Amino acid sequence: MSLNVQNLYKQFGTKQILNGVDFEVKPHDIHAIVGVSGSGKSTILRIIAGLESTDSGDVKWNHRSLIHIPAHKRRVTMLSQTALLFPHLTVGENVTLVTRERSRKQAEHWLRVVQLGDRYDAEIHELSGGEQQRVSLARALAAEPELLLLDEPFTNLDPKLKLDLQRFIRDLVKELNLTAVLVTHDREEAMLMADQVTLIDEGKVTRTGTVAELYDTAPGFGDFVMLDGELRPLSEVEVSETTGVTVQLMKKIYRFGQCFGEYQFKDGRSVMLPTRESYQTGMIYRIKRKEE
Amino acid sequence: MIRQGLLICLTFIPFISLFFVVPTFEIENNMAIVHTIGLIVILSGINVWLSMMCAWWLLWTDSRWKHVIEWLVFLPLFIPMLATLFGLYLILAEAGLIGTYVGVTLALLVVTIPYSIRLAYNGMAVIGRPLLEQARILPSRRRVMYVLYPLFSRLMRTIALFTTVILLSQFALIQLIGAGLIPTVTTELYQSYAGNNRGLALSNTWMLILFPVLLYFLLSGWDRYMVRMLKGRLQ
Repeated sequence: MSLNVQNLYKQFGTKQILNGVDFEVKPHDIHAIVGVSGSGKSTILRIIAGLESTDSGDVKWNHRSLIHIPAHKRRVTMLSQTALLFPHLTVGENVTLVTRERSRKQAEHWLRVVQLGDRYDAEIHELSGGEQQRVSLARALAAEPELLLLDEPFTNLDPKLKLDLQRFIRDLVKELNLTAVLVTHDREEAMLMADQVTLIDEGKVTRTGTVAELYDTAPGFGDFVMLDGELRPLSEVEVSETTGVTVQLMKKIYRFGQCFGEYQFKDGRSVMLPTRESYQTGMIYRIKRKEE
Repeated sequence: MIRQGLLICLTFIPFISLFFVVPTFEIENNMAIVHTIGLIVILSGINVWLSMMCAWWLLWTDSRWKHVIEWLVFLPLFIPMLATLFGLYLILAEAGLIGTYVGVTLALLVVTIPYSIRLAYNGMAVIGRPLLEQARILPSRRRVMYVLYPLFSRLMRTIALFTTVILLSQFALIQLIGAGLIPTVTTELYQSYAGNNRGLALSNTWMLILFPVLLYFLLSGWDRYMVRMLKGRLQ
């Protein structure tokens, strides 16, 4: 089931937020919308979720317009920057509430999925930020959505937790065969999680493509590597001229692995980047100089 | 410590002297109690309903009229209540509602509703639009019962109590619009002051204290029962 966003326009007061936004999300893909703050990306998500009306344009899910369908009938759930759990309910009650039959059993299942199976009776304030975000994910999944919307859900988390949760959610979305739209200002995050990316600027789509397509051509994409579990800008990498098979980053030497695509440095040198799969599994991000 | 002591003194001084006089425990006009209870129930109900609806609309609307309506609704907060009284009197007199229970109810509604809307709006703003939006993925009945009611119950209780306290403080308004024909506990209290009947005045004073206190316990008990019952259904 695909999502089609067609020619969306939205104005708040005198400010035009969306200027004819068009893109398509393929079934079971994670599609990232990347843009700076105020570019209109969250508004797109809110329109898809039914939390905001549109001035013109359409949102179609499986070729059916969602525009006049109320939020609770859309089978779309959203995960936001803050967990937004209902404070008067316990962890389990928050999840039970959204299940179709108000079933504790189902809620317990989803809490187990997010590895919080033993926290059903815990109060919300007893959980850490990361745990709250996982409960929020369990709640979003327990509603049995067809489309999961992720509105910068990792913004307030520390780097290690952020990376863990990014991987966790990506794997879970793939395992459950869901379709997801991720909104982020963070290109690294988009690259780590998404299959397709739409770049948006001042309410207009500037580029859409797979991560690989945008990797070499879109500014800012691919300009980083992951080493020892940390993301670093690629400009810090020095390619060894002598061996041709190692890179030096922060005075450490790394050997090359599988190739993904060519990356052109400003000085004209180019390197081959590893597969995204190795990146996803958290292996050392290895870089190989282009074979002559 | 001195500050806390001063605060306690200022809070309790008005009530200490109440124990120096013995109340008569005679209420001369039973209709005053009936009218007062009627006004509390009707005005609290209307205020809660109308203010929550209006605040909800103000919270969500993108209408260009939002600021104009906000300004109009909150205007009476900046104008003394007595200043609005004469205009109100003229309008109600035109409509033939002076000296009627409906007239008094309408006049009290006009003076209480801006405060209620302000309370409701601020309360909803504190809960926050993002959290309330999360509830929108729920079917409407579930949304109201399990999320909105528990989140708003304290707010609604505050509005009801605030309305009650304002209406119990309105002597001039009730006397003028009611033309002395609609007795309430407040008007009785003033008359007993005027007649220098300290025992009766004290009885009416205790009545004024008793109404909001009883309402508070009643609404709190109801809230606790409802929230426990609703949470029980999620177990």
